[in-house]
Amino acid sequence: MTLAIILVIAAALALIFILGVAVSRNLQVSAKPGLAQRIQPIDIEAFRNLADPAEDDYLRRSLPASEFRAVRRQRLRAAVAYIQVARRNAAILIRVGQAAVAAGDLPTAEAARQLVRDALWLRRNATFALLGIYVALAWPHAGFAADPILDGYLHLNNSAMLLGRLQNPSAVVRISA
Amino acid sequence: MIRQVPVFFAFAILTAVADLTEYATDVIPTVSPATYWRADWANLLIQAVLKFVLVGEIFAHVFGSYESIARLGQLLIRALGVILVFAAAIAAAYASQNSPHGIISGAWLLDQTTFIVESGLLVFIFVFSLYFHLVWDRRLFGISLGLSISSCVHLASWAILGNLGALDPKRMIFVFLNMATYHAVVLMWFYYLLVPSKVAVIPAVPLPENDLEAWNRELERLVRP
Repeated sequence: MTLAIILVIAAALALIFILGVAVSRNLQVSAKPGLAQRIQPIDIEAFRNLADPAEDDYLRRSLPASEFRAVRRQRLRAAVAYIQVARRNAAILIRVGQAAVAAGDLPTAEAARQLVRDALWLRRNATFALLGIYVALAWPHAGFAADPILDGYLHLNNSAMLLGRLQNPSAVVRISA
Repeated sequence: MIRQVPVFFAFAILTAVADLTEYATDVIPTVSPATYWRADWANLLIQAVLKFVLVGEIFAHVFGSYESIARLGQLLIRALGVILVFAAAIAAAYASQNSPHGIISGAWLLDQTTFIVESGLLVFIFVFSLYFHLVWDRRLFGISLGLSISSCVHLASWAILGNLGALDPKRMIFVFLNMATYHAVVLMWFYYLLVPSKVAVIPAVPLPENDLEAWNRELERLVRP
């Protein structure tokens, strides 16, 4: 009987979740006017500095071990904040891109598809990088790969600028500070 | 439409034919109970295979165009599939055997097993696409929604039915609940597949405007990293 109760509860939770998705219409194209304004620019150079292994090596050589661990954790927490912003921006740009695919002409739709592809790539890499950082927070000597985030963010920046120019030729777009 | 979701159409037609055949074996007096249960087993196996191929079709439609997450999704859904099969096997091993006839209790367990794996995989597809903020085609969403609702209700019902005696009068309540749910889901599929969506004019979402200096800086960074 315990097994039956567990299965009934699991089925009920799954049903509530699925009905919630249907009601919220989160899986449908939406173009909220303020969506793109929620993009937060990122200071790429500051993030590059935080993620630079050479900087970590320098700190490791210069500081006592306990102090290095504390500084390294602070730097990692700052990197988490940057990556979370990048991940959120990617999510917004996925929405923006998908709305533009549905609404735009052929060149705009192609630029929008590229934007969606780049944003998905970044969001995926950002998730992996966050996992790597959480490991590094527990074990400060472990590293994390920041290059996929930096490269992905620059690609995404270019795709966003291209789409922005196609949608509004007189404006210029950036998602980096 | 048939070209877009061929597995769903095969599922809809074959399921209807298999259910009608099973109904015929139930009401024709010359058909023995053993033959009816064999037909039930065949029906369950056909439907189980079709449902898993249909889940594959849904996955391919949602993530197929995005290579970066399609591979990750495939990896995760395969791993989850293995875990769900093990969980379903454990659930079947610990389920009550309320029928003295193995062919009957086996059919009930096969139903439960199928619904555990099916609902788990469908929930994963919803969660994964929500995480990546992907937008679904309306018809595909309707198919997935109906299939998910049906599998969750059936899973809960079969979990309870597995613990009721074979002749318990309360069985009929759950049998009717399953039938009513499936009929409601079929109506839902008709709605999503046949009723055209409202043509909504989606305005282009303008990206934020920024200054030319930033644009130049980005270009410079690209040229001289």
